[in-house]
Parts: sequence; structure tokens; C-alpha cells
Amino acid sequence: MPVPLQATGTATPTGTAANGTAGAAPPSAPLADAISGLLGGGLLGDVVGALLGAFLIANLMLIMTAVAGPWAKRKITAAFTDRIAVNRIGPFGLLIIVADAVRLLSKELVIPDGADRPAFDIAPIVLPFSALLGFAVIPMGNGIHLADPETGLVFAFAASSIASLGLIMAGYASNNKYSLLGGLRSIAQNLAYEIPLVITAASVVIFTGTLQMSGIVAQQTETLINVGGIRIPQWFAFVNPFAFVLFLAANMAEIGRNPFDIPEAPTEIVAGYQTEYGSVYFVLFYLGEFIHIFLGGAIMATLFLGGPAGPILPGFLWFIIKIWAFFLFTQWARSAIPRVRIDQLIEIGWKGMLVLSFANLVLTAIIVGVIA
Amino acid sequence: MAETTGTRPSAATAADDPTRELLDIVPDDAVTGTDDHLNAPALVVRADRVQATLSALRDAGLDHCACVTAQAYDDRYESIYHLRDYDDPTREASVVVPVPTDDPTSESAAPVFRTADWHEREAYDLVGIEYDDHPNLRRILLPETWQGHPLGPDFDGEEPQIVPFREHANPLADDRRGADTMFLNVGPHHPSTHGVLHLKVSLDGEQVAAVEPDIGYIHRCEEQMCQQGTYRHQIMPYPDRWDYISAGILNEWAYARAAEDLADLEVPEYAQVIRTMSAELCRIASHMLAVGTFALDVYGDFTAIFMYAVRDREKVQNILEDLTGQRLMFNYLRLGGVVWDLPEPREEFFEKIRDFLDDLPESLEEYHDLITSNEILQSRTVGTGVLPPEVAKSYGATGPVARGSGIDYDLRRDDPYGYYDELDWDVITDDGCDNFSRLFVRLREVEESAKIIEQCVDILEDWPEDERTIQSNVPRTLKPEADKEIYRAVEAAKGELGIYIRSDGTDKPGRFKIRSPCFSNLQTLPEMSEGEYVPDMIASLGSLDIVLGEVDR
Repeated sequence: MPVPLQATGTATPTGTAANGTAGAAPPSAPLADAISGLLGGGLLGDVVGALLGAFLIANLMLIMTAVAGPWAKRKITAAFTDRIAVNRIGPFGLLIIVADAVRLLSKELVIPDGADRPAFDIAPIVLPFSALLGFAVIPMGNGIHLADPETGLVFAFAASSIASLGLIMAGYASNNKYSLLGGLRSIAQNLAYEIPLVITAASVVIFTGTLQMSGIVAQQTETLINVGGIRIPQWFAFVNPFAFVLFLAANMAEIGRNPFDIPEAPTEIVAGYQTEYGSVYFVLFYLGEFIHIFLGGAIMATLFLGGPAGPILPGFLWFIIKIWAFFLFTQWARSAIPRVRIDQLIEIGWKGMLVLSFANLVLTAIIVGVIA
Repeated sequence: MAETTGTRPSAATAADDPTRELLDIVPDDAVTGTDDHLNAPALVVRADRVQATLSALRDAGLDHCACVTAQAYDDRYESIYHLRDYDDPTREASVVVPVPTDDPTSESAAPVFRTADWHEREAYDLVGIEYDDHPNLRRILLPETWQGHPLGPDFDGEEPQIVPFREHANPLADDRRGADTMFLNVGPHHPSTHGVLHLKVSLDGEQVAAVEPDIGYIHRCEEQMCQQGTYRHQIMPYPDRWDYISAGILNEWAYARAAEDLADLEVPEYAQVIRTMSAELCRIASHMLAVGTFALDVYGDFTAIFMYAVRDREKVQNILEDLTGQRLMFNYLRLGGVVWDLPEPREEFFEKIRDFLDDLPESLEEYHDLITSNEILQSRTVGTGVLPPEVAKSYGATGPVARGSGIDYDLRRDDPYGYYDELDWDVITDDGCDNFSRLFVRLREVEESAKIIEQCVDILEDWPEDERTIQSNVPRTLKPEADKEIYRAVEAAKGELGIYIRSDGTDKPGRFKIRSPCFSNLQTLPEMSEGEYVPDMIASLGSLDIVLGEVDR
């Protein structure tokens, strides 16, 4: 395991770290261990602890999705377009979530003629679960962290990339030409943007010297600069804002949000890969998309925004705030930015982002090399 | 009615100068007689010399084939080509091609004017005239399986339409146009076909290899319904239902203008000012929706710009509601004027319009911020959906589509009617020929319409109270004398909306033909989108701003 590099050079007093310790901690599973400890340990305790922890995290994400999908998305878009949106059921229209869930789940599940059955059924499961898998390694503060392997960052990217498989399965198995176009578009897009995304993340890894999520977070608790008594932490968004913007843009493409929502593009190819999906399958797709947005936000918060760190409030709350901020940002972009054309998107990816991300990587390596 | 006298052209010495001039242009052996339509001199041409005649007239400057009217008489069929000059639309000519009932075959004009392609298909579909040398003579409005021609002489509407089942057996079997292409049905149920339009698209990867619009899904026999209504009152409600994107008064004016000229009715000046003002309000409402939906097609989701556009359209609709009592189907114009005067208290009404006009520049600034100055939108629209002016003319494109291709053609100025020639405003053109130009022209035209409305409000405010005549004295039963023919057009929101009426001596038209601007404009879609990406085709379709109610009629 590489020794973490100190970007600031001198050892600064560690601030009020919300979570984790500086340097690479040994692989652990904080949340599962805690539950296991409560249960008295042992093999049974470990297994039950791991399952229970995963259950809690997954449900937390699903609850957030439930709030985001039927309610927050409508409210945010409405605010951008001078409308009111849902307000009839429950306080602030919140109970629309229940109504929508019942409505969606009680619809008839229509399987199109000629659909490629196993693939058609598996695709809507792959999408949300690939995203949920990514949350296994995200540190959420206050010890809520399912697993902390040495290769945490790689795992998160790998898990979220499985989604592409679900999309191409859905596109191909639906026996619909719009779906096929959408599936192909999503693959072309993910290929073009995943590389800049990972390369940009690698520039952060050059600073931290570790792929372990807790290590990356711990690194960012150190002080970058003191401005009039206010301590600015060493978040990588402050250390390397260029990489942050690059990552943000690539992330939008990775999760397929405006201006890069080409795989769905309702005005062009109806709904892309999910054209033929309805009822429960549609709900799964919808869930998957939103969990992907949150996962994108979580990875970004961990890499660039200090993970769960923040003043006053507990770390976990800060984590939630950060991923919701990212969600808000995607909805803002959705309301304000036209989508680019598929060829323009590919061009931006291969000719622009890829070059910039490599430039960023090389420059970061040189700077870190000189300082260290 | 054509006087098929059979005389040689040289014998037509009695003809007046415009006819003489036309006769000098066309080949001698083509013309069998002359006629005089109320709007233009007419030449009666042999059915096998149509192309020679039309190309001679086109080369002589009559380069706009505005409309092709087909009709059935007891003893013959007739195709009428209404030609105009793009530089001076008051220079008009009609080419009448009679064919016998037992052998209704006429030479196609499609090789000369590409717009004739669809118009002749419609003539074949509805009336039953066959066109030799036509590239693609199929039904256009009615289903392929339809039997008989509804506007033809021997059509029996009571007879059930029997469609054999095999006609519907897999219409897409073996439809692979060219190697490695994929056939895709865009519509009739697609989020951005702006109604029930069906595009048969062949894709080469993401690029459009061929596109063929399939129309007729909301064909409602509007022409026939108008032929069954009396001039005075029963026809006027129908125009509202052609272009139903709140452009009702513009449509009504097209009928009013044709019928008033046919029956030689006066319109009081006061009513003309009200017509001008309300028509321009309709134009703003229509353009607002065009801009909003275009942005929706390009932006993607249900975005702010659409809501902003609808918000401003709402203000216009409130004004129009105050004026007409209706929000969409206004039915406000009457032959010889308008149905009632401005609402009382007038000051309040004027104040409302002024408030709207005062806020408009700020709103337009917002649109320019959100749309035209947006870099992504520019990269999506500039240089895509290119429609060169020559092609646009050949397809008979008019309105913002033509003006976005740099064609300086606006009937409000070039063929003045209403109160337009008394007012100070400009015709907007743009040389870009692309999707962006058409969008930009519409936004600028809203400014010009606002200028017109403002001047109209000033004039109406100062109008002396005892001279507010809203209708001239029109006979209760209007019976124009038989066999008068007229083609008259106005500048509707989408372009040249023309009406051809032939009177038959009764109180109902003998033939009522609608020249829809959207019908002609939509024909340019393949020209604009072949070779481009699917999203550009969608954007081009949005930039054409078609209303299927007007395309299908």
C-alpha cells in the first residue's frame, strides 16, 4: 500500500474530522462491524451484521429515491418553470409519493411481442442494483460505511459501470427500434465518458496515494489554508477545481442527465431503452436512474467535497446534503440546458474531455512530484 | 368557368393586356382558350402540354406555384395551377387544364414545380384526376385502401368502404431501403411530431437516409364541409379549425378576403383596423407556441422556455377572449366586417393591450437569453435543416419558413389587404436558411406584430365615436353570380393561406379549396433532413411549425 502523500507538505493539525483517520486504514466494514458488535460478534453476528447493514443502506437510498422521483423532481422543475406542481395530497403534496407508488405498481405489466425474455426481465433489475452496489463502499459519515476495501474507488466505478450492461440488455431485448437506438446511444456515451471520468478520479488518487475511500476522505480533512480564522479544508474541489469541473461534466454524461440525456431523449427516440417498459419494470428503471444520480453525487462528494465532512451538523447529514445538492444541480441543468446532439456528444467526449482529463492527470502528477 | 372555345391563341384579340402578355410567354400549341378569374388571367391549356406551359411561365418570373385546385364538372375535370411571382405576388396567373371525364389524365407539373407533387396527389385522391409523369401518384389524405374519390362526380358516400384484410398484412415486410438501413416509424404517436404526423424514416446508423411524411390522420373533409355551408354565416366557423394554434382570426380572414372579393363586398375601414389588430394578436400567440415547442424539441424535457412562451401566449389569449368571447375558436370575423365592436369599457381593453405590449420587449429579451443566445442551442440549430431559397421556392414554401431562407415574401406588404399598408412595420428575413434562422425570424416577427398592434390601438383610440361602423351592409342571403372564380390569400402565421372559391349561382360555393401553408411547407422536410441526424430532423420539423389540422384539413 503506497504511503499517502501530504500535498501541503507540512504536517498540519488534524481538524475536527467527521469520520475516519488520516492515512490508509486497514480494510474494514464499520457499519457491519458495529451491528455485529451489538449482536455479540461471532460468525453469525458478522453475517447478520453485514446483511442488516446492507439492508439499511439500500433502504435509505430507496427512500431518498422515492422522495426525489415522484416529488422533489416535480417540485424543482416546477420552481424553475414558474409552476406549483403537486400540492393536493398531504403536506406539500408529499403523499403523492404513496399515490404514485400505488399507481405505478398496480399497472398492467405489458411484455411486448417478441421480447427476448430473460434479458428483458433481468435488465430492470441490473440497473438499480448496480447503483446500490456502488454505495457499499461510500463513507457516509458517523460510521455509516458498509465496507472499506483498499480498492474502494475502483469498486465504485466498476459497480456503476455495470449499469451499461442493463441498458444494452433493455435496448436489445425490447424488440423496439427506439429502444435499440437508445441502448446503442447509452453504450457509445458511457464509453466516451467513463474514461475521462476515471482518469480525472485518478488525478485525485495521485494526491491521496490510496484508493481506499476512508483514506481519500481523511486526506481532505486537513487544512488547505486559513482565511481570517476560518479553516478551509483541503477538499480536492478547492485543491484542483479544474478536475472538479471536469469530473462534474463527465459525471452528468455518465448518469445520462441533461445536457447529456441522449439515451432517453424523449423528443427524439421517445424514451430510448425504456420505451417498452411499464409498471414494476418501469419503476425499477426509474429507481435505478435516481440511485445512479445519487451514486454519482456520492462519488463526487467523496472525491472532491470532503465526503461527509462539514461544520456543525453531523457528518451523515452533510453527506445527504451534498448528494442532494448534486441532485438539485442535475435538475437545474435539466430545466436550463439544451441537450447536445449524439455526434456532438461523442465529439466532446473523445476530442475534448479525454484530452483535458489526460492533461489534468499529467499536470497533477508533475505538480505532486515536484512538491513531494 | 373556362370558356373552352377551341380558338387559337391568336384569335384571343379581345383579351386584355395581362392575358396577352401570358400568351406571348407560353408555347403557341399549348393554349386552347382563355378565361378570366377574378384574381388573375387564366389560360386554358391542353392536358399534354402542362409542363411546357408551366416551365415557360416559371422562367418568366411566375415562380410560385401557390396551389393546385382540382374540381369535377358534369362533363369534365379541371386542374387549376395558381401561379404567382415571389417578387410581386400581385402578378398572378391561372393555368386551367381540362380533361374529359372518361379519360381524366393530365400531364403532371411535378417536374416543373416540386410542390405539385403533393398537390396533385391530393387532386388524385379527392377528385380522381390521374397525372402522367407524376413521380409518386398515390393517395395522400385518405387511406391507401380507400375506394372511390369523394369529390368526384360518381362517389357514393353511403357505400361502405370494404377493406380486405390482406391490405393490412405486415406493411413493413421487406422494407429495407438500401443496404444497412433501418426503417423506423416516427409517429403517428411520437412526442414531437406536433400532432398525428407519421414519418417513414430510413436510418443509416443515426443519420436519416430517407424520410417520407405520411399525412391525412386528421383529414376532416373541411373543403367539402365549406361547400355545404352558406357564404354568409355557415362557413366562417370552419377556418378556426384549420390552424387551431390560436391563429383563428388569420384563417377567418383568408375566407373573408376571398368571399368579399368574390361577392364584391366593402369592409368599413374601422373594421379593417380591428381585423388587423386581432390578426396580429393571433400571430403573436401562434409564434409564441411555435418558439416554445421548437425549444422543447431541442431542449428536451418540459423546460422553462416552453412555460415562458405559454405564459406570454396566455396574455394574448386573454385579450382575444375579451374581444371575441372565445379562446381558440374565435368566429369573430364576418363577411363585410367583424361581429361586434371592441369590448366596453374601451379604455380598459386598450390598457390591457398596452400593458401586454409594454412587457413584451422584456419577455423577448428573456427568450433571446434562453434560446437564441444559448451556445448549445446555436450549435444544434445553426447550419442544420438547410433549405436553400431555390428549393424553398420550388416547394412553394411561404411564411417564416420562406423568410428564414432569405425569400422576401410577405403578403401583408406585397399584396396588401386590411390596414397593413397604412402602418409602419418591416418584413423580417434572414439569410441563414437553417433551423436557427426560422426560429429567429419568428421571434423578430413578434416584435413587428407588436408594432402593428400598437399603431392599431392608437388609431382605434382616436376613432370618432359616430363613425365606428363594424360591418358594411351585406345581403342576408349571399348569392354571387355563377361561374366566378377567385383565389385569394392572406399571410397567416404559417405562411400563405389561400382560398379558391368557384360560385355556382347558389348561396353555397361550388368548389371551396384551401391552400394550406403547412401542407406546402411540410413537403420540404425530406429536403432539409436527409443526410442529417435524427435529432436534426426533429428540430427541422419543429422549425417548420406545422399544424396537422391545417395540413390534413
